[in-house]
Amino acid sequence: MIILSLGAVRGAIVGLLGTGVGMGIAMLVRSALGLPAWNPGPVTAVGALAGIVTYLAALGAFNYWLGWIMGAKHDPEHENHSANDKGSRWIRYFNFDTNHKVIGVQYMVTSLVFLVISGVLALVMRVELSASGKTVIGPGTFNSFMSAHGIMMLLMVVLPAIAGMINYLVPLMIGARDMAFPRLNAFSFWIVPPAGLLMVSSLLAGGFDTGWTGYPPLSAKAPLGMQLVFLGAYLGGLSSILGSINFLTTILKMRAPGMSLFRMPIFVWAVLATAMLQLGFTQYIAMSFLMVLLERLLGMGFFRPEMGGSVLLFEHLFWFYSHPAVYIFVLPGLGVISEVVPVFSRKPLFGYKAVALSSVGIALAGSIVWGHHMFAAGLEDVLRIPFMITTLLVAVPTGVKIFSWLATMWLGKLRLQTPFLFALSAIFVFLIGGLTGVPNAIVPTDLQLHDTYWVVAHFHYTLFGGFVFPLMAAIYYWFPKVTGRLYSERMGKIHWLLLTVGFLIQTLPMFWLGLMGMRRRIADYSPVQGFEPMNLAATIGGFLVAMGIMVFAVNLIRSALRGAPAPANPWDSKTLEWQVSSPPPEENFVLPPRVVGSPYGYGVPGSVHALLAPAGGGNREAPKQF
Amino acid sequence: MANTQTAVFKERPWQAGIYLGMFLFIISEAFLFSSLFWTYYYLRGQSLPTWPPEGVHLNIVMASINTAILLASSGAMHWGIQRIRRGSVSGLAIGLISTFALGAAFLGITVWEWTHATFRPWTHAYGSTFFTLTGFHAVHVLGGLFVLLALLARTLRGRISQEHYLAVEVGGLYWHFVDLVWIGVFTTVFIIR
Repeated sequence: MIILSLGAVRGAIVGLLGTGVGMGIAMLVRSALGLPAWNPGPVTAVGALAGIVTYLAALGAFNYWLGWIMGAKHDPEHENHSANDKGSRWIRYFNFDTNHKVIGVQYMVTSLVFLVISGVLALVMRVELSASGKTVIGPGTFNSFMSAHGIMMLLMVVLPAIAGMINYLVPLMIGARDMAFPRLNAFSFWIVPPAGLLMVSSLLAGGFDTGWTGYPPLSAKAPLGMQLVFLGAYLGGLSSILGSINFLTTILKMRAPGMSLFRMPIFVWAVLATAMLQLGFTQYIAMSFLMVLLERLLGMGFFRPEMGGSVLLFEHLFWFYSHPAVYIFVLPGLGVISEVVPVFSRKPLFGYKAVALSSVGIALAGSIVWGHHMFAAGLEDVLRIPFMITTLLVAVPTGVKIFSWLATMWLGKLRLQTPFLFALSAIFVFLIGGLTGVPNAIVPTDLQLHDTYWVVAHFHYTLFGGFVFPLMAAIYYWFPKVTGRLYSERMGKIHWLLLTVGFLIQTLPMFWLGLMGMRRRIADYSPVQGFEPMNLAATIGGFLVAMGIMVFAVNLIRSALRGAPAPANPWDSKTLEWQVSSPPPEENFVLPPRVVGSPYGYGVPGSVHALLAPAGGGNREAPKQF
Repeated sequence: MANTQTAVFKERPWQAGIYLGMFLFIISEAFLFSSLFWTYYYLRGQSLPTWPPEGVHLNIVMASINTAILLASSGAMHWGIQRIRRGSVSGLAIGLISTFALGAAFLGITVWEWTHATFRPWTHAYGSTFFTLTGFHAVHVLGGLFVLLALLARTLRGRISQEHYLAVEVGGLYWHFVDLVWIGVFTTVFIIR
C-alpha cells in the first residue's frame, strides 16, 4: 500500500485516533473525579496533546532519539543518508525526511497552501466591506474570519515561508552539507501542519473574535475556537524556536573554509538577526497565550483585575514578542532584496558591511520598542517618550538598507526580469510602509490613528513590502535552482503587474479611510460616513491581487511539471548555491568549497567568491572559479 | 563541518555544534523564565503593600532544604562529569544516579509544598503566578530527570566513554541551568517575596 508509506497519511490517521483516545481518557478521568464528563475546554486540550504526540510517533519523529536512548550506535557519518533508500522522489516530501532541501520545499508548500486559505478569508471580508449593510456574512463570522486571517497569515504563512527559504538556502549559501541538526529540523517542520489544522478547525469550533492579538478579557471568554488557536500558536512557536536554534548553530558552526562572517551573503546575515529574535522573544507570545489558556482551563487570574491581575501585563508580554516579530517577518525578505538587486544590476552591493550590520541593528533596536503598541492602552506615562524615541531609531538601520539598494542600482546594467521587478515593487511598497509608520510612532498622532484603517494600511504595506513581494522575488529567483526547470517569464510579469497594481488599489485607499476615522476590525459602517467608494476600490484591488496569485499558481505548477530544463546558473550569480547543479545534489558539495572573496563582485575584474571542486571527482588541481 | 565534529570535540567540548545548540536552547529558556519573573514583579509592583495577599504562608524552611538538595544535585552532576573525563564510567553512573535521586527528592518536596500551600492557583493572581513559576520550574526539573535517565541508559549500555561523553556535558549544562533558575525562583518567591 503506497498510501501507508506516506508518513503524513500514517500520522494523520494515528493522530486522529490518538485525539479520540485522549479525549476519551480525559472524560473518564473527569467522571472519576465527579466532574461532568463533557467540558469542551479541558477535554479538547488533552485530546489535541495526545493527538500531536501520537501523530509524531506514527510519523517516525521519535525513532532516532528513542534508539539513541536505548544505546544504538551513534554514527554521525550516516545521519543524512536516510533519503537514498526511500524509493521514488516524491514520497520523500510526505515523510520525516532530514534533508534541508526537502524540508525547505515542505515548509514553502505548506505556507502557500495557507496563503490561499487565509487569502480567501480576506477576500470574503473585502466583499462584506465593499458596501455598507450586510453583503455576505454577519458580524460574528466577519470577526472570526478577520481574526483567523491575521493569525494564520502570520504564523502559518509568514513563519513557514521564511523557514522554508532559510532551510533551502542557508546551508547552500554557506557551503555546508546540511543543517546542524537535521532531525530537529524535520521535527520543527512536522509540528507545523497540525498547528495549521488546529487554527483552521477553530473556525468550525465557534471561531474567535479577538483579532490575532488575543487580548484578554475577550480571549478568556471567547468560544472554544480561541483555545484551538492558542494551542496552534504554541506549536508554531515551538517550531520557530527549535528552528532558530538550528539556523544559528548552522551559521555559526558549519560555514565552509574561508567563509568569514563578512563574506557571507546578506541573506545569511538577515537570517542571523532573525534567528536571534526568534530564539528568545517567541517564548513571550507562547507564555502570554499559555497564561490566557490557564485562565480559561484552571481559572487562574493573571489578567483579571478582581483577582489582583492586570490586563496591561498581557499587552506587555504579548507585544514584547510581537513587535520584534514584525522584524522576524521582514528581515529575511529584506535580505532577499539585497541578494536580487546586485545580481540584476550587475554591480557589487553598495555598502556591504553596513547592510550586513543593519540587520542586526534593526533586530537590536526593534526589541526595545514594543510599548508603541500601547500608547492608547493606558501605558505608564513615563514610558511613552522613551518608546517613541526607540521606535524612531529603527528608521536608521532601515534607511541604510534602502539607500544601499538604490545606490546598487545606480548606473547598473538593469535586467528587468521577474525577480528584479518584484524586488523593485518591494522597495517601493516597503518605503511607503516605513514612512507611514512614523506617525504611528509619534505619540500625539498615534492617539489619533490608533485602531483605524491607517494602521491596517501601514502594516499591510510593511508586510507586502517586507515579506510578500520579496517572497515572490525569491520564489522566481530560486525556482530554477529548486525545481531544475525554468518558469514562464511572461506569466511572471503578468503576476507582477497584477500583484503590484492590485495591491496599491487595495491598500492605498485604506490610508484615507483611516484618516476619515474608519475603525479597523468592523464588519459594517454607516452609508452616510462616505466610506463606500474607497472600500469598493479596496475590494476591487483585493480581487486583482487574488488574480495575480492565480496566475502565480498556474505558472508554478505548469513550470515545475513541464518547464524547460534550467542550467546550473541562469542568472550568472556568484553565491554558492548557483555553482552546483539545478536541483543541487543530495549532499550539496562534493568537497567543502573554499571561499576567497566577496559574494557580490559583479562587474569587478578578477573578483572571485569561491573555488569549487568539479562535480563527480575529487580532482582539486583545477578548481572552477566563481 | 558536521563530519569533523567528533574530532574537534576531543579537544574542546564547547566547540561542538550540539554544545552551542544546547547553549542557545538555554538562552531561549531563560527568556521563558524571564517572562514569568516579569509577571511576578509586575503584579507585585502594582499590588504592594498587599503582596503576597492575606492568608499566604510559605514554608521557607522546607524551601531552603530543597534549595540545598538541588545545589547538591548540581554538585553530583559536576562530579560525574569529572569522573568520565578521567575515564571512569562507573563514576559517571554513580554521579548520574545521585543527581537523579536528588532531583527526584527536590520534585517530591515541591509537590509536597504545593499540596500543603494555603492557597490555590485560582485563589488570586498571586496564587496563579506562584504555581506557574514553581510549576514551570518543576516541569523543567522533570524534563531534566528524563534527560538523566536517557544518559544513564546510554552509559549502562557502554556507549559513553572517555572519548565520547559529549552528551553528558550537554545534559549537564541543562541541569546546571535548571539549578540556576531555581536560585532565581527561590530568591524571588521566598526571600524578596
